[in-house]
Amino acid sequence: MEEALRVLPENVREILCQYTEMERSTIEEIRMRINRPLEIMINGKPNFPLLNGQTYFISKDDSSQMINKLSHYSLYALEEELKKGFVTIEGGHRVGLAGKVITLNGHVKAIRDIASFNVRIAKQKLGIAVPLVSYLYAGGWTNTIILGPPQSGKTTMLRDLTRIMAEGDNVRRIPSAKVGIVDERSEIAGCVLGVPQHRLGDRVDVLDACPKAEGMMMMIRSMSPEILVVDEIGRKEDSEAIVEAINAGIKLVVTVHGTSMDDLHRRPSMQGLINSGSFERIVELSRKDGPGTIHAIKDKTGKEIRRKKVI
Amino acid sequence: MKLLGAVLIILASTWAGVEWSRTVSERSRQLRQLKAALQSLEAEIVYGMTPLSVACSHICRQVGHPISWFFDSFRKKLDAGQGTAYEAWMESMEEVWKYTAFKQEEKEVMKQLGATIGQHDREHEQKQIKLALIHLEREEREARDNQMKYERMFKSLGVLGGILLVILLI
Repeated sequence: MEEALRVLPENVREILCQYTEMERSTIEEIRMRINRPLEIMINGKPNFPLLNGQTYFISKDDSSQMINKLSHYSLYALEEELKKGFVTIEGGHRVGLAGKVITLNGHVKAIRDIASFNVRIAKQKLGIAVPLVSYLYAGGWTNTIILGPPQSGKTTMLRDLTRIMAEGDNVRRIPSAKVGIVDERSEIAGCVLGVPQHRLGDRVDVLDACPKAEGMMMMIRSMSPEILVVDEIGRKEDSEAIVEAINAGIKLVVTVHGTSMDDLHRRPSMQGLINSGSFERIVELSRKDGPGTIHAIKDKTGKEIRRKKVI
Repeated sequence: MKLLGAVLIILASTWAGVEWSRTVSERSRQLRQLKAALQSLEAEIVYGMTPLSVACSHICRQVGHPISWFFDSFRKKLDAGQGTAYEAWMESMEEVWKYTAFKQEEKEVMKQLGATIGQHDREHEQKQIKLALIHLEREEREARDNQMKYERMFKSLGVLGGILLVILLI
């Protein structure tokens, strides 16, 4: 949270300082739109805080202060980020951007005239993946798919699982492993200048913002990981790289969009992977009892190993 | 005694002449340094996409005084993070300018560059720096011409002036 405060314009920072430490730790998003009121999302509800008894409207000046701070006074250094529409800042927080988009040959070149900022506060949920460990570890880690609809906590789960794998677990006698992460959307590790901002253990190597299929091959060739972690696979070339990795003796942990195993059978790019039985465990997440609800854990034939609700 | 006095006068005026000619050559030397600094700033921006404050700390190590003072002060102001990059640029110029041999023309060029620094994409930044370099090139040529013309003249003027003074006094 403190890192996020540093990039905010002075007035907004002042408003946030009015909140108590407790309230501040529950903030999920800080949204700023030029000429519109400052919005702060707490527990999924919007708040429009006051400054000197009046609703605070974001000015053009606030926006240029914000851009200056995000870019360290060097807009050219944000070229890639302006193309993707978000900036990852220290602490793994993310600032989403919107405004006037400039295209070149039909592709987005950059966002100019940024009018909306959305500071999403990253919160690492340490220990959320602990209930999974006994199902996914049997003398060695198993190839695993984490399945769930959007916002069901797939990436959060994957991040904590990565931490457990890289740190090892003394109580369960699980040794630590070399873990390679291909982080195409900079969400697992939240890297700033290539250095992970989340706690992921000491034995983690991250290819930040790297296309998944290519990144997996790069990792296999150059970094000799024992476990590869990849977020949101789904394209055909991803599957090819996964087959390559599994046959190279590397364990894979991936996430996929979808609600159940049947969804995977219906997707042509995933069908082959599932039918080949390379993935020994499939973890289904749902949003029923909040993000991170473990709906079911299945083995490669689709038989359930466990069905119990844990938050 | 008279002879000693005469020698002292000639020595003093010679030294004054050399100093004087140095201010002329100093300007072209500093212009060369400033050009080198801007060229490496361009490389940092275009090829390295390095943020300004980091780029400036690199440049500081490459060029001599007083140019390095300017970039050092600019970097410190950026790190402090108050106001805009243009304000930091202008304040640093005010601080350091009196230690340089630059004239009004260079000030204008740097002011123009400061107005756009760090606020555009790479291509635009590169164009602005190129433009500044072209202007500085012209100034440097002029400074070199002046140097050729006046440097020797000031030196001989110093010696001859001393001799003249001695003759008049004898």
